[in-house]
Amino acid sequence: MNHNQQSSDGMHEDEAALSDFLASLMDYTPTIPDELVEHYLAKSGFQCPDVRLIRLVAVATQKFVAEVATDALQQCKARQATVVKDKRDKQQKDKRLMLTMEDLSRALHEYGVNVKHQEYFADSPSTGMDPASRDE
Amino acid sequence: MSHGGVNVTRGNEQEDRDASRRLGADGFGRAVSKVAVAQICESVGFQSFKDSALEALTDIAIRYLSDLGKTARFYANLAGRTECNVFDIVRGLEELEASQGFPGASEVNNCLAGSGMVRGIIEYVGSAEEIPFAQPVPQFPVIKNRKLIPSFVQMDEMPPGKHIPAWLPALPDPHTYIHTPVWNERATDPRADKMEQARQRRKAERSLLSLQQRLLSDGSVGTSALASSSDVKELDGVDKNPFLGTPLQPGQKDVSPVVLPSKPLDEMVGRNHISVLEAFAPAIEAVKGGFSDDGEDGKKVLPDVRPAVQLKFRTGKKFLGESLDLSLQKGVGRAASWVARDDERDDKKRRAEFILRHTTEFPQELSQL
Repeated sequence: MNHNQQSSDGMHEDEAALSDFLASLMDYTPTIPDELVEHYLAKSGFQCPDVRLIRLVAVATQKFVAEVATDALQQCKARQATVVKDKRDKQQKDKRLMLTMEDLSRALHEYGVNVKHQEYFADSPSTGMDPASRDE
Repeated sequence: MSHGGVNVTRGNEQEDRDASRRLGADGFGRAVSKVAVAQICESVGFQSFKDSALEALTDIAIRYLSDLGKTARFYANLAGRTECNVFDIVRGLEELEASQGFPGASEVNNCLAGSGMVRGIIEYVGSAEEIPFAQPVPQFPVIKNRKLIPSFVQMDEMPPGKHIPAWLPALPDPHTYIHTPVWNERATDPRADKMEQARQRRKAERSLLSLQQRLLSDGSVGTSALASSSDVKELDGVDKNPFLGTPLQPGQKDVSPVVLPSKPLDEMVGRNHISVLEAFAPAIEAVKGGFSDDGEDGKKVLPDVRPAVQLKFRTGKKFLGESLDLSLQKGVGRAASWVARDDERDDKKRRAEFILRHTTEFPQELSQL
């Protein structure tokens, strides 16, 4: 009984938390616009007139993308750390953090998404060259 | 493969154009998603992106969104509903995150409201800063109102059969599918047409050939004898310039109008000259208005006259100007080259060109005569 009571109390708390959260979502504007989310949800058959749920889905997607991006950022920083060790005298050439396919594919591998990209296309004279020296 | 680093602010217009050309049916949605994903990545800490990486991440985000919708719908249908609620979404989230693992994944009987996913999202909303989308997004896709075919009732028509109800779309008008032939009402007389056509051709040939003979025999600067048979209409008294006399005596036999144009030059020399007026008569009529004024402007001495003056002719055809350049600047010697060119060209084309080209010389010669 106690356990049930505790769990029911817990349930109430959770539900309360959830409903509060959904209410607070109306103040928070997700980065992914509502119209876009509605379009893709309608395409997949999701039917719901409630705006809060749309916001919930938008926020969930935003969280997912942010997680992937964070992992890719860590990969990028890790790579920069290894590079900089060799050339301490020279100013750090690639100060800017750039999202590249390599980092992204490594980050996505943990999520079970297999993203591979071509090493090179032999269609221009600069193919096969070191990416750092290529003019970007 | 790198397309070059693309800034979040997207200053590179060429990339924009290339990207827009690649858009498919869902182009607008993809473009908006790309911007949103870029904004998220920027908030995480990235300062620039590779274009291909950004597109891949956009693809994944769209897939995630669609999969979430599908899963939520599936769970709602499973429960016998058509509309989804929050618990369907939470189940969907759990399913997508199952490979990653989230706190409470192993619990079976818990209330969904307390699932680790929800807590994780709540934390995220609490911690992450709010970044609204950069631009207002219109409602899409836009639904166009189709213009329907009006029904029988709307057209105030009775359907042709009793079996056709009046609210159905009306049948098309008969003129859209019945072809009635249209006859030419004009009365034609083929014989008279042919005769008229032959007459005009003869007229043109006559003038062309006589003109050609004339020009070949004494060059561009020449005079002509007064013709006994004349079609003189505008000008009377064409006097022969004694200083520009022809080797033959005037008044000799008239040349027959039907002459083969491919005869060599020395044979032509033996012929008499037909009056310029007669040769040019049909052409004179055509271009009378244009030439009469300009022709009188002090063109006494041919070589000194600038071709630019004569280019003001109102008929203004290009080859008129060219022919004048040829005739004035290069002098008499052009006659020989004309012959050569004539032999090469087509008969009809030659005739037409001759008529129009030499009409401009006519007013000069008139003033000299």
